[in-house]
Amino acid sequence: MSVIDTPAQGSSTPERPRAFLRPDGKEKVTGLGRYTADLTFTGQLHAAFRYADHPHARIVSIDTSRAKALPGVFAVVTHEDVPDVRYGGMTQDRRLFAKEKVLWEGDVVAGVAARTVEIAREAAALVEVEYEVLSAQPDYVANMAPDAPVLHEGWAEYGADENLVRDGNVMSRYVIAKGDADAAMAGADVVVKSHYVSDASQGVPIEPRALVAQWTGDSVTVWSSTQVPFAARSGVAHTLQIPESKVRIVVPLLGGGFGSKCDFHFEAHVAILAKVTRRPVRLVFTRKEEFVAPDHRREGMDIELETGVTRDGRIVARRGRMVLDKGAYTGEGGFFAQMAAMHACGPYKLDTVRVEAFLNYSTNQPAASIRAPTAPQACWALEQHLDEVAAAIGMDPVELRRRTLVAEGDEGPAGQVFEKIGAKETLEAALELIGYDAYLRGELPDDEAVGVACGWWPCFGVPSGAYVKLNGDGTATIVTGAQENGSGSVMGLPILAAEILGMSPSDFSINYQDTDAGPWDMGSSGSQTTFNNGRAVVEAAQEVRAKLLAMGAEKLEADVADLELADGAVRVKGAPETSVTIADLAGTGEPILGKGSGEVPEAAASDASACVGSLGMESFLAPQLITHAARVKVDRDTGVVRVLDFAAAHDSGVIVNKVGADGQVYGGVMMGIGQALTEATWTDEEGRQKNPGLLDYKLQTASDGPRIQIRWIEIETPNAGPKGSKGVGEPPSVPTSGAVGNAIAKVIGRHVDKLPMTAERVWLAANSPAGEDQ
Amino acid sequence: MSTATSMTTSASSRTYVEARDVATAVAAMSAGARPIAGGTDLVVGARHGKAPLPAALVGIHRIPGLADVAPTDGGGLRLGALVTHATLMADPTVLASYPGLADASAIVGSHATRANGTLGGNVMNSSPAMDTGAPLLCHGGVAVLVGPAGERRVALADLWTGPGRSTAAPDELLVAVELDAPPADGASGSSYVRLQYRRQMEIAIVGAGAVVTLGADGTVTGAKVAITALAPVIHRVAEAEAALVGTDGGFEAAKAAGAAAAAAARPISDVRGSADYRRAMAAVITRRAVLTAVRRARGESVPVPASDTTFGS
Repeated sequence: MSVIDTPAQGSSTPERPRAFLRPDGKEKVTGLGRYTADLTFTGQLHAAFRYADHPHARIVSIDTSRAKALPGVFAVVTHEDVPDVRYGGMTQDRRLFAKEKVLWEGDVVAGVAARTVEIAREAAALVEVEYEVLSAQPDYVANMAPDAPVLHEGWAEYGADENLVRDGNVMSRYVIAKGDADAAMAGADVVVKSHYVSDASQGVPIEPRALVAQWTGDSVTVWSSTQVPFAARSGVAHTLQIPESKVRIVVPLLGGGFGSKCDFHFEAHVAILAKVTRRPVRLVFTRKEEFVAPDHRREGMDIELETGVTRDGRIVARRGRMVLDKGAYTGEGGFFAQMAAMHACGPYKLDTVRVEAFLNYSTNQPAASIRAPTAPQACWALEQHLDEVAAAIGMDPVELRRRTLVAEGDEGPAGQVFEKIGAKETLEAALELIGYDAYLRGELPDDEAVGVACGWWPCFGVPSGAYVKLNGDGTATIVTGAQENGSGSVMGLPILAAEILGMSPSDFSINYQDTDAGPWDMGSSGSQTTFNNGRAVVEAAQEVRAKLLAMGAEKLEADVADLELADGAVRVKGAPETSVTIADLAGTGEPILGKGSGEVPEAAASDASACVGSLGMESFLAPQLITHAARVKVDRDTGVVRVLDFAAAHDSGVIVNKVGADGQVYGGVMMGIGQALTEATWTDEEGRQKNPGLLDYKLQTASDGPRIQIRWIEIETPNAGPKGSKGVGEPPSVPTSGAVGNAIAKVIGRHVDKLPMTAERVWLAANSPAGEDQ
Repeated sequence: MSTATSMTTSASSRTYVEARDVATAVAAMSAGARPIAGGTDLVVGARHGKAPLPAALVGIHRIPGLADVAPTDGGGLRLGALVTHATLMADPTVLASYPGLADASAIVGSHATRANGTLGGNVMNSSPAMDTGAPLLCHGGVAVLVGPAGERRVALADLWTGPGRSTAAPDELLVAVELDAPPADGASGSSYVRLQYRRQMEIAIVGAGAVVTLGADGTVTGAKVAITALAPVIHRVAEAEAALVGTDGGFEAAKAAGAAAAAAARPISDVRGSADYRRAMAAVITRRAVLTAVRRARGESVPVPASDTTFGS
């Protein structure tokens, strides 16, 4: 194990010269980069949607005649213009255009293509929709009552994953069970119960999504700001009932996603408009649409936790009940109940467990992957709950974690035995960076405190592919299906190939974000690009290496075993003057090409026999461990909280590109602080968003950011990504709000039980009598 | 059953005229044009769907003289309508004699907003949450309006009538705001403090401005207090001012002024905060504004913007 520190604010450590500046950085920061909305096509039309006029209503009729009659309108399409098919991840519950019902304010009823955006929007407003208005059902907890009207009346006929446990408005139920938690709870020295509620929040990419579709014959190309081009391709093929080979998705530079651009979204809507009009059709979202229309936000969650401990800090039982707001449709979020349940356990030694999680339909905007879906809220609740447990037995909360965090050889909630992991090491590192000892000695002012939280996040082993080809000038090109969402993970792939081929990372170009060029990839989701595609690139580079060595052996009349690849040449070990350059070998015209996918690592064995609704994630593959520590200052009179200093210690295995990994932590921590303090989608009593804009959806700004110190606990992780690496992208947001919440509680004397912990909520908690509910 | 057909305005043609003098601008406004300078309210508001862009616009940003900061004959300060927030937050006279206005100007929106947004646009937007409103009122701000019939002067207290509404006629152009001379008979200080959830890109959830004058013995001889985002218009609170005059300007006096401000507040509940919270914050923020003004009147240095320095106090 080795440890690398990042001194304050991201300067690189000189003795570890692994900082590789991403090749797409300069065009992005200088404004030269071209994003989807920068593309223009001859004869292009502009699209606009007609959204639902009520969060919940039956559609009686749709009349598009007035809209079609508006001068400048080329097409108005509804469900009648597309194949009658449903789509969705684990449950196929949605149509491109609403047919029988609208189920949330962002449901799409009709699409328009017109000469200008203004005309398209005017025509969309002229579509006449007759509704039978139904009661909105935004209360996702109440929706599981036996007498609650079922939102998807025909759900039994929907295609769905057979492992989903479905019932009424419960889209999925999962129970994780280990031992007899009820009996163990009854025998505990102390039992602590907590109830926490998290509001929904958003991914908020700075680039609102944009798409252009153009047909050539019976094939369509869609330029789309998506994180998952291959999923988008499948979605277009399925919903328009055409072969995948007739669909090409190209992603120009992507201006952020944070999960919100995962999944198939609007590619088929724009494609059908382009088909009907025989023109390129372009759709660019307004900021308001970017908030309201995607079926993607961070889920609201109602969390009850109960922990039984011994007085010396052993957790004998954990019970939990979690209800998650799925919103109107499944999208790709069908597995969330299981993920949430794992995060209610956390990376702790638990003698017995019974956690039940429900994923419920409502008439709210659908929830789906936003950076580490379910984890920040569940972790925020669990980590505050653990501080409450520690207080109940009179133990410092850090000491409770020291005694209960998992280490190598310990067992996870469903029987997974952990291999080499650095959970405890992240804890000690974060404490050192934040100065926890000084805090314990009382050296901070009384309106400041340090809070600590731990968390985890799995790696996802999935197939992935890459090609590496040499160019005649001695450079190389990586052709990959992996998607760059801004994190830099695709931009870092050359580092892996360069090392194998004795070249410099800057010798590589990358051909990516085009489904016709690269092999299939899951896309920029699940922190999986380096983990899976890195492995593919390594294997492809090794094939090229073997070819180069064979060609070099022939040319140099040497044995392959005596050759090495270095400085852009094949050369004899110990006699570098006897060499042939890669450019000479590649310039002959003979293609030198490697391909790879690598072996997909499998999750550790587990015993899920007592669990209900298994989706295969009851053991975490190559778990990433995190400890965050926050020093905050609370303005007691107003409840406004400032985070003054922050320490982030991560076990993400071996770090491939430190400057890139650091960047993920800086951004993730800032996103986590926003979720902790200011970011929420506020809704009216019918679930309509009240703050779909950047003034009142309050992201943290650069001026609000604390000092962020980072430490990487580098472990060559077995059964993981290249070099023993794990993922990096999602974990930096996982325990952030828990650390901030625990710090706030230390200042004001009680835990804020709603997320975000807004100034008003902190003020209420600080000023309400002890024991009284807020 | 209900049938819904949303309405939007037709994408008709728009006109834009650029005025090089006040008369041209007023003539265009008489013909129905709306003036535009920085565009930070008009354009952003249109994009957010608050109100469509007007069909006719008259650009006033190149009219000479409207961006000047100059002393008035009475020893006060005349601020041209085109003076930007970035200018106000750094102007030596404003910093020395009207620091509350600098406090407010320094926290409007973002760097870009402050560089482009003008005082005139801010004043005529008549938002109850505008940051410069409270310090302008406390410093005796008078709007100088020019219309087809000539110039007239209106105290800001008589200008604003509600959110987005004022007593100015549609064809009257604001050319300047004039402020009182600082009191000659004593040490004075001013301030503006707001409740903010973040430090940039923010709008006042609650705000308060204060001007305090001290006699030779340190007793408060004059006080003006105005509150922001707590009523349909920004307004002064006579009871808060009365609670200060004759006191030592200490914590208890400031607290009493804060209580008076809270009592005078008529807050609403919205996504930024509940009415109860806003009312409670009116007391805290007013107290902090008063104490900051007193400190400045005593000659202590309190950095601009005061909202940052009063955090947690």
